[in-house]
Amino acid sequence: MSKVQAREWAEDVSDSEQINDPEALPAPTTVVNKDGTKTTITYRIDDSGRRVKVTRKTRTTIHREKVNPEVAERRAWAKFGLEKGKPQGPQPDTTSVGENIVFRPSRDWKSVQAAEAKDGGGKAEEKSLKEQLRDKKVKCRICQGEHFTARCPYKDTMAPVGDDNTPAADPLAEDEDASTKNASGGLGAGSGGYVPPHMRKGANASAGERMGGKFERDDLATLRVTNVSEMAEEQELRDLFERFGRVTRVFLAKDRETGRAKGFAFISFVDRSEAARACEKMDGFGYRHLILRVEFAKRTG
Amino acid sequence: MRPILLQGHERSLNQIKYNRDGDLLFSVAKDKVVCAWFTSNGERLGTYSGHQGAVWTVDVSPNNRLLATGAADNTIKLWNIKTGECVKTWENPTAIKRVQFSEDGSRLLAVSEKRMGYLGTIVVYSINYGDDLTEQSDEQDLKITCEEAKATVAGWSYLDKYIIAGHEDGSVSQYDSKTGETLLNVEVHEFDTTINDIQFSPDRTYFLTAGKDKTAKILSSRNLEILKNYTADTPLNTAAITPRKDFVILGGGQAAMDVTTTSARQGKFEARFYHKIFEDEIGRVRGHFGPLNTIAVHPRGVSYASGGEDGYVRMHHFDKSYFDFMYEVEREAARK
Repeated sequence: MSKVQAREWAEDVSDSEQINDPEALPAPTTVVNKDGTKTTITYRIDDSGRRVKVTRKTRTTIHREKVNPEVAERRAWAKFGLEKGKPQGPQPDTTSVGENIVFRPSRDWKSVQAAEAKDGGGKAEEKSLKEQLRDKKVKCRICQGEHFTARCPYKDTMAPVGDDNTPAADPLAEDEDASTKNASGGLGAGSGGYVPPHMRKGANASAGERMGGKFERDDLATLRVTNVSEMAEEQELRDLFERFGRVTRVFLAKDRETGRAKGFAFISFVDRSEAARACEKMDGFGYRHLILRVEFAKRTG
Repeated sequence: MRPILLQGHERSLNQIKYNRDGDLLFSVAKDKVVCAWFTSNGERLGTYSGHQGAVWTVDVSPNNRLLATGAADNTIKLWNIKTGECVKTWENPTAIKRVQFSEDGSRLLAVSEKRMGYLGTIVVYSINYGDDLTEQSDEQDLKITCEEAKATVAGWSYLDKYIIAGHEDGSVSQYDSKTGETLLNVEVHEFDTTINDIQFSPDRTYFLTAGKDKTAKILSSRNLEILKNYTADTPLNTAAITPRKDFVILGGGQAAMDVTTTSARQGKFEARFYHKIFEDEIGRVRGHFGPLNTIAVHPRGVSYASGGEDGYVRMHHFDKSYFDFMYEVEREAARK
């Protein structure tokens, strides 16, 4: 509607004026295309003074509807009140079209909703784990104070408490248990003397285990993968296993000299159920011409 | 289904109404303006201005000549729908919460608030549709005083035989529309929970109430027997019956004062569709940012509109999936 008016306005401008004014914009043109659409070309000057050519393609669809004569009569009523004098057709300031809404009534809407809520619930659990991590207080490994170990005032005077228990990396570890252990062994407050690192964690911890111990702390959700190709890469394994859940660690044993894989790897998951699923699915999976064998890692000794 | 958004109001919507042909929609809000819209494209036909306070209620006469509104400025106004002029103002001691034309349009009932020592009342005026619409009598045809609990909503039953009112204590009463005598009073909703809306079926033989106790109920106009019960999980502000399909639409949400303390997702600002016969919830339509205050359905059941606390009216034209949906038993019955 407004488009048509714009053209009429332009036609109203007398010819002489247009000639006199070199800045005058060319008159809008409308061409009827072969397929029935109309192409309207209009010109205007934008805010920064540039000439803008606007090309609009419009298709007119005539929609016929039979209505009650009274209804038809009402359609022609003059507008009044705040709308007085406004042109016909919806005004953009009061009427707009919203986003499309998919509405499909269904008989078991409730159960579908419940299932969705359940899925959402799973996410919520994950979220809560994150929150748990976030709420984890920063704890100094030297003096158990609420600051980072690097900032500890006793940094140079005290030995660190066993480095196998960083709180942020291991949210599932029982807090109290760890802290008491650390307190007694780490500070060595009872005896007062120096405790060598391999003695700090208790008597039964042998030196050999301490080496692997760094990687085997959450054996509950750790898988041992054997028959891995020599050409395997850690990232590839991570990609393979990440489909089943969040992987916290991938350890691929490599030969120190050749740099090739030794044929086994450990994959740690956040959640044991995810690990179990991965174990079930990936056992017997063909990877680089070899068939993987996946089982839960057993703690040695 | 692409809703048409009508942004004619600056404050929360109070009531919306389709006219009998379904080509016009009227909306009233707390911002004193009454708007008229074309339902086919959402174009605003005009506004009716003159009220000095929040407009609580609106109704259209069956012959599409007069519009009645009730407002917090203690007046009932009659408007000429075509021109937007106010043709009559009735003063009342307290605010008007609900107006409704009788089935034949010859009478108008108005529910007034209980305030400043005045008891809640239902008053009835006769309406004259002569050439000069301003010739309306000042005389009250009938006055029903609600001694116990004030009436919050009211309407006319089939053949204008009874006036049916919902009360703030959750009860529903049936009055004789000629004498004003109380015929029945039934405790329908939980005690002391307001009935926020009452909408009648097309033939007015039964009606749907929406209660603050999170339920909506269908009652028979004749003996106020509870026929159906729909349970929601949020206080209900409004409920409507859909013609053509056997559904009801319930609207509600967190009370306005609690909205800021709850997230939009928890607020449950959705229109809920229930099957009228089987009482099952069959779907929801989202879109509003606040509680739904009012829902109206097109008299032919092809669209519905909802007005929310957020100041928007959203008009939805149903698409095919809505009309196609049927229960197995319904499909079998349709086949026969």
